[in-house]
Amino acid sequence: MKFTSLFVGAVAVAAVSATGALAQTKLSRNEIINSLQGAQAKVEVSADELRKAAFDNIKKYPGDNAAEVLPLALKLNQLRQFNVEITFDFDSDRIRPESYETVGVIADALHTPYLWGAKFFVVGHTDAKGDREYNIKLSQRRADAIREALITTFRVPADRLEAVGLGEEQLRDPENPDAEVNRRVQLINVGY
Amino acid sequence: MIRFMCLLTAVAWLGLVPAAHAQTVGFADAIKILSQSCGKDIDKYCKKANLGNNEIGQCLEQNSSKVSAQCNADRARVATLIEARLAAQAAVPKICERASQQYCQGMEPGSGHILKCLLKAERVVGNKCNEAINLAGYR
Repeated sequence: MKFTSLFVGAVAVAAVSATGALAQTKLSRNEIINSLQGAQAKVEVSADELRKAAFDNIKKYPGDNAAEVLPLALKLNQLRQFNVEITFDFDSDRIRPESYETVGVIADALHTPYLWGAKFFVVGHTDAKGDREYNIKLSQRRADAIREALITTFRVPADRLEAVGLGEEQLRDPENPDAEVNRRVQLINVGY
Repeated sequence: MIRFMCLLTAVAWLGLVPAAHAQTVGFADAIKILSQSCGKDIDKYCKKANLGNNEIGQCLEQNSSKVSAQCNADRARVATLIEARLAAQAAVPKICERASQQYCQGMEPGSGHILKCLLKAERVVGNKCNEAINLAGYR
């Protein structure tokens, strides 16, 4: 038990320093708006298909790390999007208090008329450490937690947001699968 | 003329005083107060609570006798700030109704087109509508 709490402590410190780095280049509402806004056609990818594709990728290409990228996710990569860093407790979907502000900035952006009407995927990603299936489930729970905070605490209309967890199936830096840059939340404008 | 201007200023003041008091802040600035004032208490007493579904708010309430005085003062303030911003946003369509009809006719409601039009038409939509848009944090 002592070991567990020590471990959590260490992760918490890492989370604080990550937030410190974020504070230097303070995330702005307009930065998110500018990256996400723009008229585009409705995307023919459902959140369910995307969730399923992540699990299918494990069956199709088994192994410690995902060797192939998801074709569906590649399609989504062409859309208007923005990556944010939100920190969670170790192995948990509990959003760290240091990241409340980041969730608030997203809410500020989503409430402006510039992004009204559009639907968004909140896509959670992990690095390649640990079991792939477990990582999909953890990132799904984390994406759910962000969506939940946005629609309840900040009252973003629920039908505008879908949460998807892709685990380590779509690494941002496949050359460095365990790198921190892979742990991210992607906001994707999937159209009207 | 000067007297007339003074009168105008007085009228403007009378009209604007409540609005000036009703300043709102964005969701990020509001929730940041919670993490700053209550972050330690949240990690101490609310290890299982998440930001959504008012879990943090309920947990802090349940532990109000244990959390810091600063946190107790600010948690209520944060909730009020968020409500104020939401109310300000909800009030815009009504306050800007006439301006919308006048300058943004025929636009599809709900998709943000009317508000984007009102934002562009800042110079003509009038003080009340502009003030409402400011309070909503749309600019």
